[in-house]
Amino acid sequence: MTKQRIMLGAAVAAGLAAVPAAAQPIPVGHLMDNSGATSDVGVPYGQGVADTLAWVNNTRGGVNNRRLNVLGFDYGYQAPRAVSQYQAWSRDRVVAIQGWGTADTEALTRFVTRDKIPYISGSYSAALTDAGGKSGRQGVEATPFNFFYGPSYSDGLRAMLRWSADDWKARGQQGRPKYVHMGGNHPYPNSPKEAGEAMARDLGFEVLSPIVFALTPGDYTSQCLTLRNQGANYAYLGNTAGSNISVLRACQAAGVNVQFLGNVWGMDENAMKAAGPAANGVVFPVRTSAVWGQEAPGMAAIQQISRVSDPSGNAYRPVHYLSGACAAMLMVEAMETAAQGGGQITGERIRDGFYARKDWVPKGFEGVCAPSNFTAEDHRGTMRVPLYRARVGGDTSGSSTVAELMQAGTMKLESLGIVELERKREWLGW
Amino acid sequence: MTAMTPAGDFRSTYREDMTIFPTRMSRYALWLGIALLCLAPLMLGRYELGLLITIGFSAIAALGLNILVGFTGQISIGHAAFFGFGAFASAWLHEYAHIPVAFCIPLAGLMTTAVGLVFGLPAARLKGLYLAIATLAAQFILEDFFARAPWFTGGVAGRITEPFALFGWRADREESYFYVVLAWVVVMFLMASNLMRTRDGRALVAVRDHYLSAEMMGINLAYYRTLSFGIASFYAGIGGALYAHYLLFVSVEAFNILFSIQFLGMVIIGGLGSVMGSLMGAAFMTLLPEVVQAGADLLAGSPVDRALRLGASISFLREMAIGAAIILFLIFEPDGLARRWRLIRAYWKLYPYSH
Repeated sequence: MTKQRIMLGAAVAAGLAAVPAAAQPIPVGHLMDNSGATSDVGVPYGQGVADTLAWVNNTRGGVNNRRLNVLGFDYGYQAPRAVSQYQAWSRDRVVAIQGWGTADTEALTRFVTRDKIPYISGSYSAALTDAGGKSGRQGVEATPFNFFYGPSYSDGLRAMLRWSADDWKARGQQGRPKYVHMGGNHPYPNSPKEAGEAMARDLGFEVLSPIVFALTPGDYTSQCLTLRNQGANYAYLGNTAGSNISVLRACQAAGVNVQFLGNVWGMDENAMKAAGPAANGVVFPVRTSAVWGQEAPGMAAIQQISRVSDPSGNAYRPVHYLSGACAAMLMVEAMETAAQGGGQITGERIRDGFYARKDWVPKGFEGVCAPSNFTAEDHRGTMRVPLYRARVGGDTSGSSTVAELMQAGTMKLESLGIVELERKREWLGW
Repeated sequence: MTAMTPAGDFRSTYREDMTIFPTRMSRYALWLGIALLCLAPLMLGRYELGLLITIGFSAIAALGLNILVGFTGQISIGHAAFFGFGAFASAWLHEYAHIPVAFCIPLAGLMTTAVGLVFGLPAARLKGLYLAIATLAAQFILEDFFARAPWFTGGVAGRITEPFALFGWRADREESYFYVVLAWVVVMFLMASNLMRTRDGRALVAVRDHYLSAEMMGINLAYYRTLSFGIASFYAGIGGALYAHYLLFVSVEAFNILFSIQFLGMVIIGGLGSVMGSLMGAAFMTLLPEVVQAGADLLAGSPVDRALRLGASISFLREMAIGAAIILFLIFEPDGLARRWRLIRAYWKLYPYSH
């Protein structure tokens, strides 16, 4: 055998070995709620994640020239189904998962910690932020592989309570304002309950006993009457938009005059159209620095992503879609960090990728995605909470689309500024 | 339940009439089947094993419901709540009493029996629709209890539990847990088959066939109806406990009324009053969603999807297909898969002289 032949053989062998390694797709799990109790906001968020990952595949060839093999699954907001799907994914050796609800994410924390799979949830439960397990809170375990993009439910509520206290004074009201927590008896609405009530007490609110309403739309007139009889001034809505709309409409009909505070999933443009004037005045945190239709350097990228599932480019994308895109981009950039210098894209390296940057905004998404900071002890990505107020100035029940209503100014998202919370140690995991 | 025996095949002793295996071949077939299943972890992937495990614990619970509905002629639309109670009881026993999981499972079965007997008390007095509503109440009472008893169930957040372990052997993978479920399936099915050969078993059937005649023959109706409820709960509890230590997470959300209906579906599709039918029904109801899901995955993004603009609605196809399958079954095969299986067997046995 000549030397040339050996060289050729070696080159072919090396080529054969290298080609599949480079072309092998990266398996990523994507848990969605497209049919369950929270599908009203689960659909736009899931679409945002899916479109962004597809866009990364189309425009950049995936991560480090390996395409992302996104394994989507609609679990209908049933935690047991999510757990069994997780077990299927862990067999497929996914390196990271884009998740969704609080019940399932909290149920999976032990599994993802054991299997070292970064889990970027749509749940912003504060119990997921204590990465080092050092908060010493009862029932809060170390969650070194759980991440989410945005302020935690508790921090969102703290920010709104701070705004409410100022609002009370600004309106020149006398006496102590009354605060009430409303939501379903479910881990997601329950998550910020105690933190919010403690904060409200500190701020001088009188805290009323919580009011329960289901995660699904229904007739909540009796809840509104309770609200009126108790004389509440500020009410937190812990559910997603679809179910909150029912409360807003019922309370409007019952003539209840309360300042509603939504959680990040509690209000959006679709809900404003569905609720009509009943949604007017609801205050809620928005996770992105800009909303659809506003000018920002990163909007071009979001518009490109939007065209993945809407080639016409006419669709209006609610706040959740943008947040989904940002959450997906954090994961993609953490993967890129993991792949740097020929590194393997493993769960542990992706987790470390989340720690690599300060004031982290994904490249090309400036002005849209808000800066995040993650450390090995503290997974509270941000303590800055931008608050918005829903403004509905007229009838929304006609055939006009959300895009038209926003353009006409019938519906508006009015910025109330940003509440900066201190990164208090005692708030970690709570 | 007479097997499809050929003409001229008479039984001359009671012993012969009561045998589980009518022919020697059927006995061998069963042994062969179990042996083949024992080899399954060597040949099948974890996904397929996961399905077999699901079929196993569902079949145990379905068999319990079949004893109640198919053999005793009672009705229960709260079976999932008992299944859930078994799951929570096993997880709770392990967490607080630190009993090894291997012993938690039968203990959870006994605890569920106790609960079942309490809720079975109305069954001794009620019949038909009235009993259905009473068991519906049991479903809601238990479901609400699960959501509001954090000490027992972990509340709405659910409870994480540990895998099966016995003397240092941990069944935390499908390959090993499969044997645990298989052993329980064999034991529980043997118990049910034998129950039907005892005095008590015959009494249950007598209650179903004509309760007035049964009472005149000296059968205590209230006792046997309650007993049947207890047995059904025991099976549900064992099935639930096996489920808990497979999924390693128990949440109240899983045990809703739809799941109860699904158990009824298993029993009806499998065949009322058939031990093997419960297994077939459980297999059918477990595999159907997977097949439909595979179909939906193929459909997603295909020209059909685009032409009909299905998009996210594909998720709902799965639920609809299951409903449609049950309706079709009720119309075309009301006696269930067990009868169809007997017909197929008889066809081959008697071939080519089937008359």
